[in-house]
Amino acid sequence: MATKEEIIARNPYLPELKEINYYKRESPDSFTIRLKWKLNHGAGQFIFCSLPGIGEAPISICSYSPEYVELNIREVGNVTNALAKLKKGDKLLVRGPYGTEYPLGALKGKNIIIVGGGCGVAPLKGVIEYIERKREKFGDVSLFFGFRTPEFALFSEQMKSWKKTFKLHISFDKIENPATCTTGIQGFVTQLVDDNVKDSNNAVAVLCGPPIMIEKTAELLEKKGFSDKQIYISAERLMYCGIGKCGRCMIHGKYTCLDGAVFRYDELKEHMD
Amino acid sequence: MTKPRVGFYDLTGCQGCLLSVIFNEDEILNIINAVDIKEFRFIMGEKYDGELDICFIEGGVVSNDDMDVVKKLRERSKIVIALGTCACEGNIQAMRKFHDKKDIEPLTYKKNHQNDDIDEARAIDEVIEVEYKIPGCPPDREEIKEFIKQVLIGKKWHDYKDPVCIECKLRENSCLLDKDVICLGPIIKGGCKAVCTTNGLKCYGCRGLTDDANFEEYFKMMKEKGFRMDEVKKIMDTFMARRVEKALKGK
Amino acid sequence: MRRRDVVAPVKTDKSRFQRIENPDDIWLDENTDFPIKKFFFSNREVLFEFSGNKVKNPSLELKDTVYFGVRRCDLNGIMHQDMVFLDDNPDPFYKARRDNSILFGLHCKEGDEYCFCNSVGLKDFFDLMMYDKGNHYLIESGTEKGLVFLDEFKKFFEETAEMISDNDRKIKNNKKLSTTNIKYMYGNESWEDLAKTCLSCGACNLLCPNCHCFTIQDEIDFDLKSGRRVRVPAACQSKGFTRVAGDHIFRETRVSRFKHRIYHQIQYFKERHNEIFCTGCGRCIRGCPVRIDWVKKINEIKDGN
Repeated sequence: MATKEEIIARNPYLPELKEINYYKRESPDSFTIRLKWKLNHGAGQFIFCSLPGIGEAPISICSYSPEYVELNIREVGNVTNALAKLKKGDKLLVRGPYGTEYPLGALKGKNIIIVGGGCGVAPLKGVIEYIERKREKFGDVSLFFGFRTPEFALFSEQMKSWKKTFKLHISFDKIENPATCTTGIQGFVTQLVDDNVKDSNNAVAVLCGPPIMIEKTAELLEKKGFSDKQIYISAERLMYCGIGKCGRCMIHGKYTCLDGAVFRYDELKEHMD
Repeated sequence: MTKPRVGFYDLTGCQGCLLSVIFNEDEILNIINAVDIKEFRFIMGEKYDGELDICFIEGGVVSNDDMDVVKKLRERSKIVIALGTCACEGNIQAMRKFHDKKDIEPLTYKKNHQNDDIDEARAIDEVIEVEYKIPGCPPDREEIKEFIKQVLIGKKWHDYKDPVCIECKLRENSCLLDKDVICLGPIIKGGCKAVCTTNGLKCYGCRGLTDDANFEEYFKMMKEKGFRMDEVKKIMDTFMARRVEKALKGK
Repeated sequence: MRRRDVVAPVKTDKSRFQRIENPDDIWLDENTDFPIKKFFFSNREVLFEFSGNKVKNPSLELKDTVYFGVRRCDLNGIMHQDMVFLDDNPDPFYKARRDNSILFGLHCKEGDEYCFCNSVGLKDFFDLMMYDKGNHYLIESGTEKGLVFLDEFKKFFEETAEMISDNDRKIKNNKKLSTTNIKYMYGNESWEDLAKTCLSCGACNLLCPNCHCFTIQDEIDFDLKSGRRVRVPAACQSKGFTRVAGDHIFRETRVSRFKHRIYHQIQYFKERHNEIFCTGCGRCIRGCPVRIDWVKKINEIKDGN
């Protein structure tokens, strides 16, 4: 039998220290950091970031690279506000990866529709980077992103190159100067989906964003002939452990940390409350 | 790192909250070292009228004097903390609104103070904006200490919102409601480590109502135990007459 | 014979499990008011310590302990917690305490007006189990660990040819949950009638031998450098249970929280682990300030009332 020390040495709550080697303010309320961390993970998975004394928060990975881990973090609470004050060269505590991934390996040859709203675009960037690496394996890839205003748009650099490779559509809830805005239309992302998605055949939709956006988009896609098994969503809940113990992220018996955060829509459809 | 400038002040109250700060005997030196205390009349003679980073205020606003003091403190403070139930809820002083003046007059210290020259006694957040509340009569000394540390590391303080029953059950107390005592535990915010109920005293509700206090059912339960509504309300009024009045009006 | 601590029921104003100093304190008359879970799933667990960015595992005080006089409902509660805490990603603190435990059960003959363990299919889960035969106890071993323990302390036991009969294994129940198939009831509107009587005090969560949800938070010392990350129990009936940064609450209504608890107990856990979470101890009804009888509610919905 293992000794007490051996047992505690396998402490899943104990994080490790990683260095930030890139920091960028992404929008008025979010920033992007890159960690020097060779992590074997899937697109859609998340990690926990923490600062001693401040606390821990789950953050989805927004990159897909064997070399590093990128995170786009919105400043909403104590942990994320404190993380925002870090800079290149600083270190933070991390553990992971956790959760399910978008089953991209199984979607070869499919047309992919990616719909993201606000900070929900972050994990989708990981999906896009995966597809970019294996572009020839996928059919048509369309991106639909909605942001509050142009200044809240994420990944403006990447958008430029995505525009060349994919069909990119962007909407803003509100545009101060519509005349000068060339990147997107005024309206909701659902409108973009409605106008541009024609065919559900051989297609899969990947959604991430606020619950209301997911609900409305899924509803719309189903009207266009998508079955709920052709739609993948990412759910967000309060989480403390990431390993199915703390019970906080449970949605009708499903653990967001173990069974999600990526769910096939039919798994959660009835339970979007 | 420059130490934050901190002041401890009191309006009308019993000063028990400020005592709770000092009751952190084992760590009071740590507190003094971590912050720059500019005024705290329990431990120093100096007065201070400059800017404050953190301003603790105990006591309720019962007079024009209090009004002046609290407004001026607000003007020169970055963060204001309502410390204790008088500052957070109105407490005992606020009861005067609900009683005849002639019944209360014999009870006041009228020789020394003119302390009823405004219509009613108020919690300080009814007069000025406050950043944080640390409720309790008295507040938990540990909580004051935790608060100071969290503010020092730049964290936003989240006050404890769960009902008293949770901590009470963790301490494996026998339930006072089963002994037909008007214990307010189920509808009152904890964070007090259930100190009263653990020592056999009912919860009088000094930390204020929970976000979703279920009044209707609480009163119904008490009625079934044989209590009249006014008996139950009297206990509730002890610390939070104003909040209870508002909450009941909302129903 | 190795020296071990004994944890057993004690009754003062209420009955609860405690470390025993004096054997005369042990009280076995009825089931305890409080469950045994705090000995494995601690009320405050230090997950790790830190000093600046340096982290290290905590030291854990452990004592070999015999948990004596534990009823089947609490034993099944431990079995369920094992399923959660000793899964593919085991919780080391829980595991260390379980590894150091002998579960020495006591078979109940009859439940009180609130318990209904026969309705939830309890399993045999113990190292040793005692059956009260009036002037002596029959002991049954459930594990190798139990047998080794009996052998180690054999001077206290006598071998016997007497068998534990089916009758001995029965527990008389006065209350019954008539179905554990409640999935179809989720939308039933009468849940609302019951949930609106709930004070959301969380007593049921804390009294439950299964409930194990927790919060993780950091504590820091006055040097503002060293501290520790700790976990403390949480109650799903309290409004803040699903509050995320930015102040959104996922289960904001009383009824959604109320149903979450019942469905976790009866349905969700079964879907994942093939066992009904609830062990029928009835503490959540007995200890509820308003005695919310959800068992009766399920029975009524089943009967179409």
